[in-house]
Amino acid sequence: MQSIAEEAPDAHERLLIDHAIAQQEGRPGALLGILETVQSANAHKFLSMGSLRYIAEKTGIPPARIYSAATFYALFNLDPQGDNVVCVCRGTACHTRGSRDLLQKLCLGLGLIGQDLSETNDADKLALTTPDRKFTVRTVACFGQCALAPVVEVNHHILSHVNERTLQREVKALKQGRQ
Amino acid sequence: MPTKTISVRIDGELVTAQEGQSILEAARANGKQIPTLCYLKGLSAVGACRVCIVELAGTDRLLPACTTPIQEGMSIKTTSAKLTLYRQMAVELLLVERNHICSACVSNSHCELQALAQSLGLTHVRYSYNNPRVPVDMTHPRFVLDHNRCILCTRCVRVCAEVEGANVWEVASRGIYSRIVSDLREDWGQTRNCTGCGKCVQACPTGALAEKGFSVHEMVKQSDGVTRLALQRAHQAGSPSR
Repeated sequence: MQSIAEEAPDAHERLLIDHAIAQQEGRPGALLGILETVQSANAHKFLSMGSLRYIAEKTGIPPARIYSAATFYALFNLDPQGDNVVCVCRGTACHTRGSRDLLQKLCLGLGLIGQDLSETNDADKLALTTPDRKFTVRTVACFGQCALAPVVEVNHHILSHVNERTLQREVKALKQGRQ
Repeated sequence: MPTKTISVRIDGELVTAQEGQSILEAARANGKQIPTLCYLKGLSAVGACRVCIVELAGTDRLLPACTTPIQEGMSIKTTSAKLTLYRQMAVELLLVERNHICSACVSNSHCELQALAQSLGLTHVRYSYNNPRVPVDMTHPRFVLDHNRCILCTRCVRVCAEVEGANVWEVASRGIYSRIVSDLREDWGQTRNCTGCGKCVQACPTGALAEKGFSVHEMVKQSDGVTRLALQRAHQAGSPSR
């Protein structure tokens, strides 16, 4: 994974970055727009170190400031993301309806047990990707759908009143759909 | 440009200040001492450490002296039991956040954090330590960055951006995961922007940034040199000095 994150952007990606920079030229907060465009155009929905370096060179923005912005906002990923993104809400309402168990079972089911889950106990941001890059498990502080707790978002589709069975079924369907 | 003179009360004493000054600058100009940590004369003020808080008559909120502009008729208290309590708390929380082991630190007895804790009469910390596992960057040929001793005051970030103009440092991530990073979190020795001038080392209030080759309590910082340089450059650039 390290290698793909370090790779310099190819000609196509460079063109895309140039275009994004030209589009945002002169606008305040241009960096965020550039980073967002570049990330959403990436096949694995992440910002590689190579592309960050290229953006720094092209815009003249100090690399440290770009890195700071990219790590401050939870929107930006510095690691390749899975094809399917499962996002478990860790807000208070979802927590009281058992979202921690959901998250742990989900990680176990996807073989993400080697990861340190103790850090997820406080409502921390988390983004784990399976080695085959099929699934990414993320957490979020709140979706604002507390009446439907516990809430899980699967590929930008919100599931409400989720229990282990429905979540397992969903993951299974995604696995089969992909294979 | 002539600045307007305004009159304010600091600790009950009627004093004059210049419009545009911060509370801290006005207080220091009149010989009043307010403790600071993230503030360094010559650099922009960010109000990160909350140690310079003061009481303003008419409001319950405590205001950071370094970032609050002084205004006509303000009545400010720079010392009180409440302020001491909050300043102690701010320093205690800084001490809790990383691994500040004074006895093993290059800056022992020349450390602004340590001196501040002593002057506030801190004998112990009431909160439990975080004990984070953080790295030490020894890759630079002349300097060391020890995250264990960093208090995220961002003096290094500002001195590098505002005085040296190299923009090597920035704060990455957020909350308790915040770290000072150079370039794209590269090793300090590998950063292309770093000129190796060492201003960040001199500006650092603790032992987080230090020169190599110094043993325990041998590292003496010259932050006033950074201030002098910053003011000279601001003067040359024609912008009003801070």
